[in-house]
Amino acid sequence: MEVMGINGKTRIALWVIGIVAAAALVAFLAVFFTRFEAGKKFVDEFFNWRVFEKTMPYVARGLWVTVKLAVISEVCILAAGLMVAMVRISKVKPFRFLAAVYIDVIRGMPLLLQIFIVYFGLAYMGLNLSQFVAGVIALTICYAAYEAEIFRAGIESIHKGQMEAARSLGMGYLKAMRYVILPQAIRNVIPPLSNEFIALLKDTALVATIGLAEVFFRGREMMGKYASVTPLMGAALCYLIITLPLMRLVQYMTTRLSMKD
Amino acid sequence: MSGEYMVEIVDLHKRFGFHEVLKGVNLKVKPSEVLVVVGPSGSGKSTMLRCVNGLEHATSGHVFIEGVDITQHGIDINAMRQKVGIVFQSFNLFPHLTVLRNVTLAPVKVKKMDAAEAEEKALRLLERVGLKEKAEAYPAHLSGGQQQRVAIARALAMDPDLMLFDEVTSALDPELVKEVLDVMKDLAREGMTMMVVTHEMGFAKEVGDRLIFMDDGVIVEEGPPEDIFTNPRSPRAIDFFSKILSHL
Ligand SMILES: Nc1ncnc2c1ncn2[C@@H]1O[C@H](COP(=O)(O)OP(=O)(O)OP(=O)(O)O)[C@@H](O)[C@H]1O
Ligand SMILES: [Mg+2]
Repeated sequence: MEVMGINGKTRIALWVIGIVAAAALVAFLAVFFTRFEAGKKFVDEFFNWRVFEKTMPYVARGLWVTVKLAVISEVCILAAGLMVAMVRISKVKPFRFLAAVYIDVIRGMPLLLQIFIVYFGLAYMGLNLSQFVAGVIALTICYAAYEAEIFRAGIESIHKGQMEAARSLGMGYLKAMRYVILPQAIRNVIPPLSNEFIALLKDTALVATIGLAEVFFRGREMMGKYASVTPLMGAALCYLIITLPLMRLVQYMTTRLSMKD
Repeated sequence: MSGEYMVEIVDLHKRFGFHEVLKGVNLKVKPSEVLVVVGPSGSGKSTMLRCVNGLEHATSGHVFIEGVDITQHGIDINAMRQKVGIVFQSFNLFPHLTVLRNVTLAPVKVKKMDAAEAEEKALRLLERVGLKEKAEAYPAHLSGGQQQRVAIARALAMDPDLMLFDEVTSALDPELVKEVLDVMKDLAREGMTMMVVTHEMGFAKEVGDRLIFMDDGVIVEEGPPEDIFTNPRSPRAIDFFSKILSHL
């Protein structure tokens, strides 16, 4: 296959150059990290096996909290996002306006701020939520705004003839939505929603700021205790173990879905 | 209003913004009548048809279906629409459902028909339009002519008293037009009341009981198709038919 007019010989040459360059980089880094003082210090700080061994089990236990927080939030987000999207496209102007305001205001504020507002705000009102529940609420409020826009785009991408055909058969608006529009729209929004889920998984780390002992919180705690960056690298590893396969899965689903068209 | 007419349109006006598309349409369609609607592009044919099943709201005037005014407030439009089937130029089949499910969806979800009964009925209808063997196929795998025949079967599954056809063969390759027109001819022969917007003058002559010529939002001429083709009176109709018939 010819890619952009590059012929066989040039391709081989490019491969050789690439491999040589990569090998040179690896060799350089190996020498830097093992022979030079600055390099050795870096490895000792960031990838200290002794510290890693000691702290990793504790940090990794936060993964359960992180995943639980992300999954429970995601369920609430999907339901809330779909509902907001339906209101956003409804025929009733005041409702539509309210939904638009909600979506814009929430998307215009940092998530971190929203987490604080929910947790401390509700505490002032005498409603003492656990950090976990506050996290679920704040993440839902925030992400529902984004996912509502995704749902809306998905619904609006369905040709209006579909709604007309359904209504002409005597289906009410909600029935037409449920049996005709949404099944088609949801197929279109699976890839963007999956990307949102990956973003959500990472954003759960922000809930650490109100004291929820998830992965990042534990990593930071151990960093203080051992005076080493290594626990943070362990935390990074925890996120990657989940996000990397998810990203591949989304990629795979996206190509599968677009192939079907 | 008596139920003597299947459709009765009284002084129907429709405006989109400042653009008045229907400027006082009056029309009566008797049961079992096949009414052919012709006219230049933009004359309001589709809009009139869409007012008959409430896809467009009349700006003023009335549309009676079997004596019931569907323009009045509080009317159960979903119930009325079950009596009025419509077939569109662009098929509008549900792409995520098989042919069979396309046909059974409304009977099951709207009429609460038993699933097995609905399937049996759908298969009968598909047989009637010559597509029984495609029951499990998805719309994307059918030709335009086949999709349009499924669309007709889907509308018939609700047992409508009236069928609306809006240029249903215009999007089809010429060799596929006949299979769709044949299904429509059968329907007409079986006594279905039909309002058919079409440029197929052969069809109009063969099965049309009456033809109306619309221009600029009003009905300009009305009569037996043959008469109007051969003897149009208004200048606009003369112009229109000379263009269309010279293409045949
Ligand atoms: N939803 C709408 N909003 C604004 N204008 C519209 C709308 N629907 C139709 N129109 C306008 O109304 C006029 C009549 O449209 P209509 O589709 O009824 O004509 P038609 O006779 O069916 O024409 P054609 O033969 O091209 O289908 C056109 O000028 C069209 O632009
Ligand atoms: Mg039209």
